[in-house]
Amino acid sequence: MKHLLPVLALLAALFGGTAAATPLPGDSVYNLPVQLTTQDGQRQMLAARRGRPQLVTMFYTSCQMVCPMIIDSLRLTRNALDPATRAKIDLLAVSFDPAKDDVPTLKSYAEKRKLDPRIWTLARAEPSQVRQLSGVLGLQYRQLPDGEFNHSSELILLDAEGRIAARTTLIGRLDPAFVKAIGETVNKP
Amino acid sequence: MSRPLSTVLAALAVFALAACSDKPPASPAAATPPASTSVASQRGDFGPPQGEPIHAVLTSPPHVPPPIHRNYPAKVIVELEVVEKEMPISEGVSYTFWTFGGTVPGSFIRVRQGDTVEFHLKNAPDSKMPHNIDLHGVTGPGGGAASSFTAPGHESQFTFKALNQGIFVYHCATAPVGMHIANGMYGLILVEPPEGLAPVDHEYYVMQGDFYTTGKYRQKGLQPFDMEKAIDEHPTYVLFNGREGALTGDNALTAKTNETVRLFVGNGGPNLVSSFHVIGEIFDKVQPEGGTIAQHNVQTTLIPSGGAATVEFHTDVPGSYVLVDHSIFRAFNKGALGILKVDGPEDKSIYSGKEVDSVYLGDRSEPNLKAVTVAAQAHAAGTLTKEEQIAAGKQLFTGTCSVCHQANGEGLANVFPPLAKSDFLAADPKRAMSIVTHGLTGKITVNGHEYDSVMPPMSQLNDDEVANILTYVINSWDNPGGQFSKEDVAKARAEAGPHAEPEH
Amino acid sequence: MRVRLALAWFGLMLALPAAAAEYVALPGGTFTSVLPADGKAAAAQVAPFRLRTELVTNGEFLAFVQKHPQWQRDKVAGILADARYLTQWEAPLVPGGQALPRQPVTRVSWFAAQAYCESEGARLPSWYEWEFAAAADATRRDARADPAWRESILGWYSRPSSSALPEVGGVANVYGVRDMNGLVWEWVDDFNALMVASDSREQGDPDLLKFCGAGAISLQEKENYAVLMRIAMLSALKAADTTNNLGFRCAKSN
Repeated sequence: MKHLLPVLALLAALFGGTAAATPLPGDSVYNLPVQLTTQDGQRQMLAARRGRPQLVTMFYTSCQMVCPMIIDSLRLTRNALDPATRAKIDLLAVSFDPAKDDVPTLKSYAEKRKLDPRIWTLARAEPSQVRQLSGVLGLQYRQLPDGEFNHSSELILLDAEGRIAARTTLIGRLDPAFVKAIGETVNKP
Repeated sequence: MSRPLSTVLAALAVFALAACSDKPPASPAAATPPASTSVASQRGDFGPPQGEPIHAVLTSPPHVPPPIHRNYPAKVIVELEVVEKEMPISEGVSYTFWTFGGTVPGSFIRVRQGDTVEFHLKNAPDSKMPHNIDLHGVTGPGGGAASSFTAPGHESQFTFKALNQGIFVYHCATAPVGMHIANGMYGLILVEPPEGLAPVDHEYYVMQGDFYTTGKYRQKGLQPFDMEKAIDEHPTYVLFNGREGALTGDNALTAKTNETVRLFVGNGGPNLVSSFHVIGEIFDKVQPEGGTIAQHNVQTTLIPSGGAATVEFHTDVPGSYVLVDHSIFRAFNKGALGILKVDGPEDKSIYSGKEVDSVYLGDRSEPNLKAVTVAAQAHAAGTLTKEEQIAAGKQLFTGTCSVCHQANGEGLANVFPPLAKSDFLAADPKRAMSIVTHGLTGKITVNGHEYDSVMPPMSQLNDDEVANILTYVINSWDNPGGQFSKEDVAKARAEAGPHAEPEH
Repeated sequence: MRVRLALAWFGLMLALPAAAAEYVALPGGTFTSVLPADGKAAAAQVAPFRLRTELVTNGEFLAFVQKHPQWQRDKVAGILADARYLTQWEAPLVPGGQALPRQPVTRVSWFAAQAYCESEGARLPSWYEWEFAAAADATRRDARADPAWRESILGWYSRPSSSALPEVGGVANVYGVRDMNGLVWEWVDDFNALMVASDSREQGDPDLLKFCGAGAISLQEKENYAVLMRIAMLSALKAADTTNNLGFRCAKSN
């Protein structure tokens, strides 16, 4: 179980002294120390994704109704970008359901849905950190007695510094305003 | 154009398979309605906003922002702050109101049909509650409620196009909705037609609401909200503009004769329907629900809870006109009263004013009052005698003066001086006319006793009534005798009032 | 010399929290919440847990930020606490006259509250845990059917917050927990699970695309306005938000 305090202290130790030249902006979600584990079993701090813009969402693999559409919306949005922009972003989907979504489950889900691991990162985090991540992304979720989840469905654009640059609640079809925002954020001079 | 569209269509085909079967996504046709033939444009979509954005003028009740003289759709920025604060609800009674803009009802908003309204809802940092706003003038789910849900110390923004003209209620729709409304969270937004409203001399903002306190009507102190009474729909107060007395006394609405008055009348509820009536006026024009069809010559108009009407009338006769909910116990026992004070010259051809005001005591008293009538007739004929004056004066004395000075003129020891065998009266009989018409305050000595009290001016008595009364008094109870004329009284009335302790 | 030592000792005592926070055991069990577990009618299951008897105070939070500088108001990342965070304090390390040591700390974000509880080896209570504990009064574990219980809560809602907050240490409920109702709002761990539709009148119209599954929670016990309003408040918040009347206490799993 990862805790907020020691990890923050660790982050301060890691970045506080050496990386002072480029301090993290205060409104970056990378201020939150979240430990992710990817579909390939790799452990990675959320903040390690700093440097490239990210399209982020949260989902869970056993979801039958909306979550497949979330993944498809993410794919659709990426495909709508011009190739140069497309090459500059990564996709990240973190599970609401760390109890069921272990590494093998994420891996098989990615294979079944043909999600190219060079583009897609499916990830899990410890339960308390899932709640923190949802908090920092402004998403809501709640587990139901039958194991399903109620959750808000959104696509969120993080700029290279981890700031929330745009978001859309339009799921199931393309949001042109969101696509435009991605282009502007990624190709910002 | 064709390429991105085909991409979208192809993608939608994919989604049709992936989407949950319960609720398919919206069809592509619905996503791109052709703008030129939409129903919305027929109603009031005059195209994109033009010119510089305009900051809306907001006013506190009973005031209304000035008319809009603009012939193009604009972007209008409305900034409304939610404030929770303790305010008087009646004399000596306070209540914690939740308000839009610090008043009940909330600030009046005025825009033009076709305007694009950028709405900023701010919730004061001191607030305990989250709040939102549902504007009945908004076309869209919840009237903006979901988009404006705002925690204390935060601000929400949403934008809507005012497609329909009319006068619309806005209110808070946060759970529990009834309680938020019962605490005063409502107001009016006027969407003017593009050509504007006909000019009038006065526009006022009046809004009814029902209030539920744990204490009784007018029970003093800070009164909490009573949920049980609210559910039972048993209000403690029914009020115009959120406070008993908000529209009476110094706060009365004002107009002059021969003017037109337009009232924007809303009803916030939460429960009661208002039978809105102005005592002594007939509404020349009522547009119920802010609709476009006007009703004329209306006595009482129904304002539903969550509804509003525009009411117009012309002022012909000066006086005080009482605004009521004609479910009349609400007016006189729960506070639903307001006053419109109309000043100006009388027009006796429309309304005479009081022509006769006589004591009506029924059949048994009739012979006694006859003396007054006889005196009045005799005076008119120029044949009035001292005896007729004394007879009439006696009747009037009984009605007005004997309450304090007693029927036998003895007064009450140490409180009301005697008129019987009065050395004060005998010393200067003419002074009595001045005392009756101007009143007397302060120390005087009568028959060796000191009196220090207040006699108000008897301004309800006309000159010949005063003359008759005093003639009666000066000829009674061993007083020296004499006679007073109407002309003498008129002169005394025109002069300055008397002073206590004369010659000292 | 002796005086100086005594003063130093006194200063040290001031810098430390007055006493370790007290937690009491609550039995948990099946509980009829105003928020049905499945969004329809299911009762909530609350496992036995321990709850802090008192709200976290300014004094305690000062000791925390002294030890964990990243939570001082001039150092905290904006995404973890909004601009109002601890602004009632005179300075980042001086609560001052507007924030007395025994008054509950307010204007703290959910992230800050979580970090504090972690520093006590605890966590924030879940909504069901909080609601379970708050259902009690001084003599009964579930006083919610008593109109007096409800009225006392509504009474607090209708008092404006212009005057200073009382200190912690109100009357203990049957478990020994104080100030559950009537002092401040409190963060819960799963505040963002309270997906009440922000327009509370949308009932029976779950927007499946917005909320997977059962949609926005429909609230049972609708006459229980007192509790419903707390949920409305929590559901309006984002994790970095702070408000003048929002504090917290911590819980521990058994």
